[in-house]
Amino acid sequence: MQKYKKFIKPIVITITFIFFIIISYRSAKPRYKPEHFTDIFNDFSWLQNWPKWLDFPLMQPLNSGFDFLIVKYGLFFEGINNFLLGLYTSMKNFLVGLPWPLVIAIVIFITYFASGRKVNTTIAVAFCTFFLGFLSPRYWDKCIMTTCIVLIGMLLCIVVGIPVGIAMARNKRVRNALLPILDLMQTIPSFCYLIPGILLFGLGAVPAIIAIFVYAVPPLIRLTDLGIRLVDKEVIEASEAFGASKKQTLWGVQIPLALPNIMQGINQCTMMSLAMVVIASMIGTRGIGDEVLLGLQQLNVGMATEAGIAIVLLAIIFDRITQSYGERIQEKTQKKKVFNVKD
Amino acid sequence: MKFLKNLLLSFVFAGVMALGTTSANAACKVHLGDFDWDSANVHTAIASYILEKGYGCEVQVTKGSTTPIMAALFDQQIDIITEVWRDNLVQLIEDNLSKGTIIELGVNTPSSTQGFYVDKPTADKYGLKHVNDMKSEKIAKLFADPEAPGKGRMTSCISGWTCYTINLVKHKVYGLDEFYTNFDPGSGGALDAAIAGGFKKGKPVFSYYWTPTGLMGKVDLVKLEEPKYDQACWDEMTKVVEDIKANGPDVYKDTCACEYVNMSLTKAASTKFASNAKNKPVLDFIRAYSIPTADVNKSLAFYMDESGGDMEETAKHFLANTAIWKKWVPADVAAKVVASL
Repeated sequence: MQKYKKFIKPIVITITFIFFIIISYRSAKPRYKPEHFTDIFNDFSWLQNWPKWLDFPLMQPLNSGFDFLIVKYGLFFEGINNFLLGLYTSMKNFLVGLPWPLVIAIVIFITYFASGRKVNTTIAVAFCTFFLGFLSPRYWDKCIMTTCIVLIGMLLCIVVGIPVGIAMARNKRVRNALLPILDLMQTIPSFCYLIPGILLFGLGAVPAIIAIFVYAVPPLIRLTDLGIRLVDKEVIEASEAFGASKKQTLWGVQIPLALPNIMQGINQCTMMSLAMVVIASMIGTRGIGDEVLLGLQQLNVGMATEAGIAIVLLAIIFDRITQSYGERIQEKTQKKKVFNVKD
Repeated sequence: MKFLKNLLLSFVFAGVMALGTTSANAACKVHLGDFDWDSANVHTAIASYILEKGYGCEVQVTKGSTTPIMAALFDQQIDIITEVWRDNLVQLIEDNLSKGTIIELGVNTPSSTQGFYVDKPTADKYGLKHVNDMKSEKIAKLFADPEAPGKGRMTSCISGWTCYTINLVKHKVYGLDEFYTNFDPGSGGALDAAIAGGFKKGKPVFSYYWTPTGLMGKVDLVKLEEPKYDQACWDEMTKVVEDIKANGPDVYKDTCACEYVNMSLTKAASTKFASNAKNKPVLDFIRAYSIPTADVNKSLAFYMDESGGDMEETAKHFLANTAIWKKWVPADVAAKVVASL
C-alpha cells in the first residue's frame, strides 16, 4: 500500500483534469463544437488555434453564485454595511465638526506620546498635517474622510490579521492552506472585487473599506507569522523549561518578541490602505483620491499633482506615527532583554 | 545544442518575416479612440473588424475616458472616434472645428436619449413622472444617501464627463439640490454596477443614465420628464456649464435648464488623418457608417448575454446577421469581410 501512495495524488489530479475537459466540452455552445465528438480525433485543425469548445465555464457559475449571495444573504451584507457605515459616518462627522487647529493638536498629541516624546518627529508630523489644508482648504475635509476610511480598514485588518498570522505561525497546515489565498488576495486586480463590492454594499465608503481589507491584510498576516517564527528556538525552549504553558509562551515570549515585526506589518498595512483609497475613488468613494481622479479626467495636471502631494503627506503622517511607535516598542523589548541578562 | 540554436534562429527569422509582411502589406494604419461605455465599444469593434479584414488596415485601439481620448483626437494622436456624444461636448467640438483640428463625419446612431431615470416599481408606486415629483422629503427618503443624512442620492455622471456638470446645474435650477446629492460614481463600470445592484436587491434607483446601453435592456427604468428641450435655453445653460468646468462650482449663475436633447451621436476624425489622400476610402466608409438604435441595442444584448463578454464575437455576430453594413463599403471589401466571418 505504502508503495502506491505516491501515485494517488497525480491520479486524482489527472482525473480532475479530464473531468474539467469533459465539462468544458459539454457546456460549449453547439455552434462551436464539431458535429460529433469523434471528429476531434479525425480532424486536427483545432490544434492550430485554441478551440472554442475548450473553454472552462467559470463565468456563469460565478455570476449565478454572486446573484445568489445578493438575494439570499442581502440582509447579512446590509448588516455589515450599516455597521461599517455607521462607524465611518460618526467618526467622519465628529472629526469634520472639530475646529481644524484642534485636529492638528490631537495629531501632535498622538505623535508625541506614540513616538516616545521625540520632538523632531512631532514637529515633522505637525507640519505635514498643517500642509494638508494649506495646499488647498478643500483638501482638509477630504483628507479627514480618507483618514477615517483608512483607520477603519486598518482596524479590520488588525482584528483579523494578527490572530490569523499567529495561527499560521503555530500550525503548518493552516499556513499551507492560507498561503495561496494570501497570494490570490495580493495579485488579483483590485477591480475584480471593487465592482462586486458595489453590488453588495452600494457606492461609497464601505466597498472601499472591504477593498482595503482584501488588499492590505496579507502583509500584516505574513509579517505577524514571520515575526513569531523568527523568535529564537532557545528562548522558547527556555520558557518551556521553566514550565510555561503554550499560552504563556505565546503571550509572554513570542508576541512581545515579535512586536517589532508586527508593527512593521501594521505600517505596511497603512501604506497599502492609503494606496487603495485612491483607487477606490473610481467607485465613488469620497476623499482626497477623487481630487486626483478629477484632475486626471479633466487633464488638469496641476490639480492631480497637488492632490497627489496631499496623499504623500498623509502617507508620511501615518508612516511616522506607526514607525516611531514601532521603534519605541523595539527599544523597550531590547532593554528588557539586556536587563534580564544582567539579572 | 545545435538543434536548439537552429530552432531559435528560425523562430527569430519567422518572427521578423511576420512583422515585415504585416507592416508592408497594411494598406493603411488607423488609430481608433474608444471609450469606457459599451455602445462605443460595439462601434469600435465593428469598425475595426471591417477595417482590418475588409481594408487590410493595421488597426490600433486606445481606450480611455472622455477627456483624455478627446484630447488625443484634438492633438492628432488618435485618427478616428466612432461615437462622440457631441451635445455634451458642444463647446469643445465647435472650438476645435473652427480651429481646424478635427472634422466631423456625420451621424453614428440617429437617436439616443439621456436623462434622469427611476426604477419602474418605485415610479409606479409613488406616481413619479416629472422631476418636480421628486421634490419632497418623503420621496428623497426612498433614495436615502447613507453618507449624507437627510438627503437622497441621485447617482450622477462621472465627474470627468461634461454631463456631471450639466446635472449639477440642472439640480440647482430644478431645485433638486435641496433634496438630493449629485453623486459621482467614479467610473462607468461603477455607475452600471450601482444600478444593477439596486435592481438585484429590489431597492429604489434614482440615477442619471442613457441609451443605447446593454444594461438598459435588462432593467426597467423610467425616464423622468423635464422641461422641453429648447435651443436657446440649452445654449444659455451650456455657457454656465463651461464656466463651472473652468472655474469651479462657485461661479454658478441662475440659468435656464431643459431636458437633454434626443440627440444623434456623431463620428469625428483628426484633420491630419483626414487630409491624407491615402485615407480617403477609410473616411468614406466611416462617413457612411450608421446603425439604428434598435440594432445597437440588439448587439449590446448579444454582447451581454451570449458572447461571453467578447466584443469581437459581437462584431462578427452583427456583421453576419445584418446587411446594412454592406451599403457602407464597396462590394469587394464587403466580400472580403464576409469571407473572413
